Amino acid sequence: MLDTLRFITTPELIEVQLRPAGLLPRLLAWGIDMVIRGGFFLAAAVTLSILGGFGTGIMLLLYFFLEWFYPVLFEVLMQGATPGKRALGLAVVSDDGTPVGWGKSMTRNLLRTADFLPMLYGFGIVSVLIHKEFRRIGDIVAGTLVIHRDAHSPLPALAEATPLASPTPLDRETQRALVAFAERARSLTPARREELAGLVPHLARAETGPQGAARLLALANYLIGRRI
Amino acid sequence: MKQELFEQQYSADWRDFNLWLKRSRLSRKQQLKTPLPFPEEEFPRRYRQLCQHLALARDRDYSHSLVEYLHDLVQRGHDALYGARDDFRSNVWQYAIGGFARDVRRMRWWVLASALLLFGPQLAIMLAIHIQPDLAYLIMSPSQVANFEQMYSVDAESLGRVAREASTDFSMFGFYIFNNVSIAFRCFAGGLTAGLLTIFALVQNGLSFGVVEMRLIQAGLGDNFHSFVIGHSGFELGAIILSGAAGLRLGFTVLAPGQRARGPALREVARSMISMVCGLAVMLVIAALIEAFWSPLRLGLPIKLSVGSLLIAMPLLYFTLAGRNDGS
Repeated sequence: MLDTLRFITTPELIEVQLRPAGLLPRLLAWGIDMVIRGGFFLAAAVTLSILGGFGTGIMLLLYFFLEWFYPVLFEVLMQGATPGKRALGLAVVSDDGTPVGWGKSMTRNLLRTADFLPMLYGFGIVSVLIHKEFRRIGDIVAGTLVIHRDAHSPLPALAEATPLASPTPLDRETQRALVAFAERARSLTPARREELAGLVPHLARAETGPQGAARLLALANYLIGRRI
Repeated sequence: MKQELFEQQYSADWRDFNLWLKRSRLSRKQQLKTPLPFPEEEFPRRYRQLCQHLALARDRDYSHSLVEYLHDLVQRGHDALYGARDDFRSNVWQYAIGGFARDVRRMRWWVLASALLLFGPQLAIMLAIHIQPDLAYLIMSPSQVANFEQMYSVDAESLGRVAREASTDFSMFGFYIFNNVSIAFRCFAGGLTAGLLTIFALVQNGLSFGVVEMRLIQAGLGDNFHSFVIGHSGFELGAIILSGAAGLRLGFTVLAPGQRARGPALREVARSMISMVCGLAVMLVIAALIEAFWSPLRLGLPIKLSVGSLLIAMPLLYFTLAGRNDGS
């Protein structure tokens, strides 16, 4: 209920989860983009000022393109992320989870004007704060979503231990918890592992065999199908 | 099947899939260097198989990180499969030779309303100033009016320029693009304030045009002024009217979304108009080219007027005739 996940069912009938990004990361990404744009423009302005009137013309054109098309180009050509968004691990996607095309990206970026009202993105910020998927007005109208795009992690291997069958049958919840514990075991200190194992004495303690966390690991190893 | 066996059986496939996705993100040159893990035509089949694996992993309570891993692959596969771009260049061409005109014709009543909001106040203020010249100062300060009179005066080197800025054609081109296209985009986006900003922009622009035109006519500079504006006015005013029409349409959808929620209604309306907004931005670029390089030239009034009329006729003919062959 409190989750901000958006579930999407693809044509293959598989459910994909998108994690919409909130105000703070988006503000930071915007700030980074502002710095990049500003820096680029300043550098160009200094070089172009040598050219006089012609340079002024180019500068105005450049300013125009940076203002309106900088986000569009990056969103369409670079997997939905401007450099700022990329730095924060964000990306713009359609609300059905597909990458944004020219039309949607243009819409959301032209309507930035409406978000900017009455000043300093006032409407945009209010809209992001009250929308359950953190969309600004441009996002609502264009049908887009800014999501967290996680770094791709390789498949972690479960900590090895001599597998041990549980003497009593375990329900699904317990099985899931055991395997999740074994997967995270590497990132926990031994003391914390024992502390967690202490919460389930009926699983971690027995008359024979390994005790505590080691016993939980052994059970998990058996559950995922390892045998002696 | 237990998780361990499942992973053993399929992890090679997953790795290949991952490699394929990584390769598709590389530049074309680097793509040639890295070998394809499997032929392109196998991708959809492998993607569907991966979806099945994810469904199985979820159903069989395999570990959280395995599910996450497969979910990540499925998501990226989904992006790769459904993110395939259509032919952008041919779409633009199709839109330019007819689609744009069709869109504008479909919106004819909105265009009319927008034109009335622009020209109505203009004519009204012109009439008012004709009767009582001081009314001009309601809209503009005396110094602004004087400034305009200087821009079109007999001894100005090129028309429509403020002399002390000593600006060149090209810098004016940059200025026109930056200024006019931004105004048009704001006029469109302002529609989201229930059309208020759009109406304000249209009326305000109409009033300023009216004041400038009437004051210059009264100062005896009407010929100079008209020979300057006639060239680009067709494209420029046309585009402003279209952006106004798009803004009004958006504003009306905010007020009366019909039998749908506001969000989806706005989405559909905006989607149907975004290509039109891009089209009118191109019109403004054409207008800026004319305004910067042709309009300031000091040529005989008959030449300027006849070329100008041709340039006004071009967008009008385009919008009435283009794209008639398939529907609308």
